[in-house]
Amino acid sequence: MLAYLLNLATLICINAVLAITLNFIMGYAGIFSLAHAAFFGVGAYTAAYVAMHASASLFLAIPAAMLVTGLLSLVLALPALRVRGEYFVAASLGLQVLAVTVFSEWKSVTGGLGGTIGIPPADLFGHAVSDPVEFLLLALACLVPVILVTTVLLRSSFGRSLKAIRDSESAAHASGKNVAAIKTLSVVFSSSLAGIAGALYAFYMGFINVESFMLDTSVLLMAMVIIGGTGTLLGPLVGTVLLMALPGLFSYMSFLPQTEIGSIQQIAYGLAMVLLMIYRPGGIVGARSKGAA
Amino acid sequence: MLLLQLLINGVQAGALYALIAVGFSLIFGSTRIFHFAHGATFTIAAYVFYYVYSLLQLHWLAAVLAATVAAVAFGLAVNRLVYTPIQKHEGSFFTVFVASFGVGIIAQNVCGMLFGRAFVSVDTPLSRSVELLPDLYVSPLSGIAIVIALAFFAGLQAFLMRTHTGMALRALSDNPGLVRAYGLSPQRLSMAVFALGSLLVVPAAVLLAASSGLQPALGHHIMLISLAATIVGGVGSLRGAACAGLLLGLAENLALNWFEPQWSEAVTFIVLFLFILFRPAGFFGRTTVS
Repeated sequence: MLAYLLNLATLICINAVLAITLNFIMGYAGIFSLAHAAFFGVGAYTAAYVAMHASASLFLAIPAAMLVTGLLSLVLALPALRVRGEYFVAASLGLQVLAVTVFSEWKSVTGGLGGTIGIPPADLFGHAVSDPVEFLLLALACLVPVILVTTVLLRSSFGRSLKAIRDSESAAHASGKNVAAIKTLSVVFSSSLAGIAGALYAFYMGFINVESFMLDTSVLLMAMVIIGGTGTLLGPLVGTVLLMALPGLFSYMSFLPQTEIGSIQQIAYGLAMVLLMIYRPGGIVGARSKGAA
Repeated sequence: MLLLQLLINGVQAGALYALIAVGFSLIFGSTRIFHFAHGATFTIAAYVFYYVYSLLQLHWLAAVLAATVAAVAFGLAVNRLVYTPIQKHEGSFFTVFVASFGVGIIAQNVCGMLFGRAFVSVDTPLSRSVELLPDLYVSPLSGIAIVIALAFFAGLQAFLMRTHTGMALRALSDNPGLVRAYGLSPQRLSMAVFALGSLLVVPAAVLLAASSGLQPALGHHIMLISLAATIVGGVGSLRGAACAGLLLGLAENLALNWFEPQWSEAVTFIVLFLFILFRPAGFFGRTTVS
């Protein structure tokens, strides 16, 4: 039971980093990306590659993951500068599908469909972090700065410029904001932080394959943000905890047929998404703070 | 000869993609609902056909009829039970999208539980390929697919241009407020759009099931294709969606000449990505993107 809770808490931390960074571009910059799992994956594969071929030191693997995802995210920034709304969604969807193909076909780096096996445990000042409790602390140590940095950034003038762009791009442009630069920066920032989550995930699991980085993950992350409350600081955290804890409930219901557990969990996800969108479209946190705003 | 074979396969796949894309485009263009569960409609129609035809061993007409009823009922139910309540409180594009994606997940997994997640094939007398020329295999289904797609497009065109409901549907995509002022109910019209859009999926689902088999995850792939076709063709343009569906089917199959089969989906999305970057309004797009 304790092992299960530790595992859940670690995965919540990793997914919270993803949800918070996705909320950064979705809720504040108005860039609705369906390719977040792709950057998560790029981070994970980069960290795994560095750990297996160079060194498992966190001070090497995490910056490498951030650098590669940050650079690749420029590809996402490109359509974000040109189009909005459903066109951008389609573009990011395209990137996501492309990324999945590359993950499963670039066998020399990603190991193909079989995935990358035998990633060494993370190395912190010469100490291998493999104990679950230690890893949870490590994940928390990554989550907290991510929360702090995004919060500080959003309260700064950069955050206000982002919101201005979200609400009216032409008005922001007219008042002298460099819209292109701000949008590009926010995409690079969000994606490179998602790279941290990828690196953590790779070290934590010790094994990664393409299944963790598919479109379903992107949509799940988007659901976490929307269910929690888009454009709120607390929302993504609440959404993550809720959606991560949900499947666990079903594993404890022994009357369900074991072979169908996976399907039942998926159906529960789908149902939760549909019902929450019908009854609480502003998200759990968003609905409450609406009166104040 | 391989190229010719791929060309024929591409036209067949493209004709079916075009049908599905037109259905999606019709729904999206006139109601602005991003009906991601359109792929689920496809899966359901295909599985109902498979169940009635292959498992119950009934006549194929009965199977097609059952698939039609299931698809239209599903489309209407999703609109009535999911989209209408969301739109009541002015659901944004993304609220609808997430809900629709949720419906897609549910449908895919329910189909998986009922019929198994494995690949099933539907064997019909028409499925078998005949060697027309040396090394060129064509099944009668390819011809049927093209003829049926053309017939459906002609019917749809006539419906939209000639009938009162068809005109009202086109008006709905231009200006829903004016439609309401004119005394028509956008609510009832959107039901008609969903029925029509879901209906267009049925021939594609039946023919695709009969020619290349099906599995629950197929709906996802189909959805991505029709989404890509809608954007490439230009949102709101049915002609564009049909042409783009054909183009994507061709691109996917012709790509096999140079790339491994796993890359065919990626080819589709490279086409889509380039279109969004360089010609976001699509082939015949009316609206320019802000």
